Amino acid sequence: MNVRSVAVDRVVDRFPAVRRIWTARAVGHRLLPLAIPLIVLIAWQCAASLRLLPVQILPPPLLVATTAIDLIRGGEIVDGLRVSLWRIGIGFAIGAGSGLVFGALLGLSRTVEAYCGLTFRLLAQIPSLGWLPILLLIFGLDETLKFVLIAKASFVPTVIATSESVKQIPTPFREVARVLQLPARSYLRRLVLPATIPGIFGGLRTALSHAWIALIVVEMLAATEGVGYTMVWGRTLFQIDIVIVGMAVIGLIGLAMDTGLARIEQRLQHWEARP
Amino acid sequence: MTEFTELAIRHVTKTYVVDDMPLPVLQDVSLSVLPGEFVSIVGASGCGKSTLLRLIVGLDDVYRGEILLGGTQVSGPGADRGIVFQDHRLFPWLTLTENVALALDAFPLPTEEKAQRVRDAIALVGLSGFERARPAQLSGGMAQRAAIARALVRRPAILLLDEPLGALDSLNRTRFQDALLDIWEAQRTTVIMVTHDVEEAVYLSTRIVVMEPRPGRIRSVIPVELAARDRAAPDFVALKQRVLADLRH
Amino acid sequence: MSGATLSEALRAARGGAVPWSRGLVLPFALALVWVWSVHVGWLSGPLAIQPERILLAPFDDAAGREIWRAIAASVLRYAGGAGIGILLGLALGAAMGLSSTVERASGGSFHALRQITLFAWIPLLTAWFGNGEASKIVYIALSAFFPVALNTATGLRNVPTSYREVSRVLSLSRRQEIRRVLLPAALPAITIGIEIALISAWIGTVGAEYAIGNGRGIGTFVSEGREQFRMDIVIIGVIALAATGYLATRVCRRLSSLALMRASGLT
Repeated sequence: MNVRSVAVDRVVDRFPAVRRIWTARAVGHRLLPLAIPLIVLIAWQCAASLRLLPVQILPPPLLVATTAIDLIRGGEIVDGLRVSLWRIGIGFAIGAGSGLVFGALLGLSRTVEAYCGLTFRLLAQIPSLGWLPILLLIFGLDETLKFVLIAKASFVPTVIATSESVKQIPTPFREVARVLQLPARSYLRRLVLPATIPGIFGGLRTALSHAWIALIVVEMLAATEGVGYTMVWGRTLFQIDIVIVGMAVIGLIGLAMDTGLARIEQRLQHWEARP
Repeated sequence: MTEFTELAIRHVTKTYVVDDMPLPVLQDVSLSVLPGEFVSIVGASGCGKSTLLRLIVGLDDVYRGEILLGGTQVSGPGADRGIVFQDHRLFPWLTLTENVALALDAFPLPTEEKAQRVRDAIALVGLSGFERARPAQLSGGMAQRAAIARALVRRPAILLLDEPLGALDSLNRTRFQDALLDIWEAQRTTVIMVTHDVEEAVYLSTRIVVMEPRPGRIRSVIPVELAARDRAAPDFVALKQRVLADLRH
Repeated sequence: MSGATLSEALRAARGGAVPWSRGLVLPFALALVWVWSVHVGWLSGPLAIQPERILLAPFDDAAGREIWRAIAASVLRYAGGAGIGILLGLALGAAMGLSSTVERASGGSFHALRQITLFAWIPLLTAWFGNGEASKIVYIALSAFFPVALNTATGLRNVPTSYREVSRVLSLSRRQEIRRVLLPAALPAITIGIEIALISAWIGTVGAEYAIGNGRGIGTFVSEGREQFRMDIVIIGVIALAATGYLATRVCRRLSSLALMRASGLT
C-alpha cells in the first residue's frame, strides 16, 4: 500500500464530499478524453511558433480561431451555408420524395421489379462521383447540376430502403390482410405505411448523409459558392486557416443533421412491427 | 349475414414440390362439417392439419379435389370463413377497436352499424373496457380473444382456429377453453379447430377428427357424446384414451 | 455500391418466368431511343454520340485505349492505400476495442474527425503533401482507415458479456482471452468494416485522382475526358469505375467468407 494513497484516504475520510473529486485516478479518468486534443493543440502551437513549417501549410491555432470568428462575422460562412443548405434541401426533397414512390412501387409490384429492378441496380452501382463528370457535360456549372446530383445521391438509398421495407412486411400480417380482404386504401394506410416507417426512416438517414457528401463533392469540384467552394478557395489562396475552418463547419453540420435524424428515429422505434 | 351451411371437403389432395421431389401434404381428405358443430382436428406434426385450414380459408388455391361451402366451391378468402392463427397477428400500431374494425373495411356498411358490430364483438369475447388498448398492453390470452373478435365481427359461417391456445401457458389455457365455449354457445358458429392437445379436443368438441402424417390422411372420426364436460369423469377419460390410442396407432 | 443486391437482381432477371428478358427490356429500349435520337438529330450537345462509339472507344480510339493503363494504375494505388489504411485501422480499432483507457483517450477525437466528409480532407492533404502521389495515397488510406477502425472497435466492445464471463470462469489470461474469445467473436464485425473500407477506398482512389489529377488513373482519365468534352471517354471511364469497384467487392467478399470459414474452423 503506497504512502500517497493512504494519505489521500485519510483526507477523503475526513471530508467525504471530497472523495469523488479528488481521487487522482478519478481526475485523470475524467480528463482523459481531452488528453489527445490538448497534446495536439500544444504541439501544433509549438510547431507554429517555432515556424517549423510555413504558415501556408500550418497556420497557428489562434489564427484559425480568429479566422473562424472573422468568417462568421463577415457572413461568408453564413452565406455559404445558406446556399449549401438550400441546395441539399431541394435536392434531398426531390430525390427522397421520388425515391419513396419508386421504392414503394418496386416493393409492392412484382412487374415493376421485373422490368425496372435490374436497370435501377445497375445505375445504383455508379457512385455520385461517377455521375459528376457526366452531369457536368450535360448541365454545365448550373445550379441544376447540384440539384440533380444531390437528388440522385438521395434517391438510391431511399429506393433500396423503401423497397426492402415493403418486401419485408411480415408475412403473417400480409396473410391477415388477405383473409380480411382489405381494400387497397386500407392495405396501404393500415398495413404498408405503419409497418415500413422504421425501415424507410433508416433509409432517409442514409440518404441524407449521402446527399451531404454529394453536396460537398460538387461544391468542391464544380461550384462558385457554398461551404465546399469556400474551402477550395481558401486552399487556392494558400490560406489553410480557412480550409480548417471549412472542415470544422462541414463536420459540425454533418453531425447535427445525423444526430437530429437519429433522435427522431428513436421515437419511431415503438412502431416496430412484431407479429 | 351468412347462412349456416354445410362445409364439404371432398377428396382433397395437396402435394408440394421440393427440390424436384414431390412431397405429399394431404392425401384424399374428405370430411363433412354440419352447421353448429365444433370439430377438432388432432394429429402429430406433419399431418397437414394447418394446411387443410389454409385451404379452407382460401389462403392457398392449389390442390386437387373440392372444398364446397353451401354447395359453392371456395376460391380465395371470403366473409363466410374466418380464421384465428396461433400467433394473434394483431397489428401492433392499432388499438383493439381499430384492429377489430379492420375486419369490416371490406364491407359496405354504414359507419354506425360497423361501430356497433365492433362493440358487440369486443363484448362477446369479454374485452369491454380495453377498446383503446394496444396489443402490446394485452396479455397473450386477451390478444387471442381480440383476434377471435376480429374474426367473428364478420359473422362468418365457419370459424377456423389454428392451435389458438398453443401460445398460452396451461393455467390460462383452461380458462380460455371455457371462454371459447361461451363464445361458441352464444354465437353457434360452426368451428373447426386444429390442436395437438387431446384433452382440449375432447373438452370442447362435438366431433374429433384424427389425422395421421406422411402423407396427411384422416385416420378416424370420433363423435363426442359426453354426459358432462368433466375432465375427471370416466366417460371423458375413456374417450381421451380412445383418441390417444388412435393417434398412436 | 452494393454488390449483393446487384447479383440478386441479376439472378432474379435470369430466373424469371421468361429468363433474362424482362430486366433487359428497359435498358435496351433506352439504348434504342438514344441511338434513334442521335441519328435523327433530335438530341444534340454532349450526349449526341453514337452508343457504338462507347463500345469501341477502349479499343480503337487513341484516347480510349489509355483506359487500360489507367485501370492498372488506379488498382495499384488502391491496393497500396487501402492496405495501409486497413492495417492502421485494425491497429487503432483493436486498441480502442480492447483497452478502455485508449478508447476514452482517443474515442472523442476519432469520432469528431470521422464526422468530416472524407472529400473535404483533400485541400488540406494537398497543402501538406503536395499535388502528387503522396496526397492520393494518404487520402485512400484515410478512406479505408475510418470504417475499419470504427467497426473493429465496435466489434470488440460488443462481444457479449456471456463470452467474457466464460473466459473469466476458465481463468484465461488476457492474451488468451483476446486470441480465443474476443477476436473470433468480433471477426464478423471486423470483416464488415473491411468490406466497407474497400468500397470507400475505391471511391476514394478515383475521387483523389479526379480532384488532384497528375498521373495515370481512372479519375484522371475521366477528368481529362470531361475537359475535352468527350462524353464517350467519360462514360467508358465511369463504367470502368463501377465495374472494377463491383468486381473488387465481389472478390473481397468471397475471400472474406473463405477466411471466416477457416477462422471458425480453427476456433
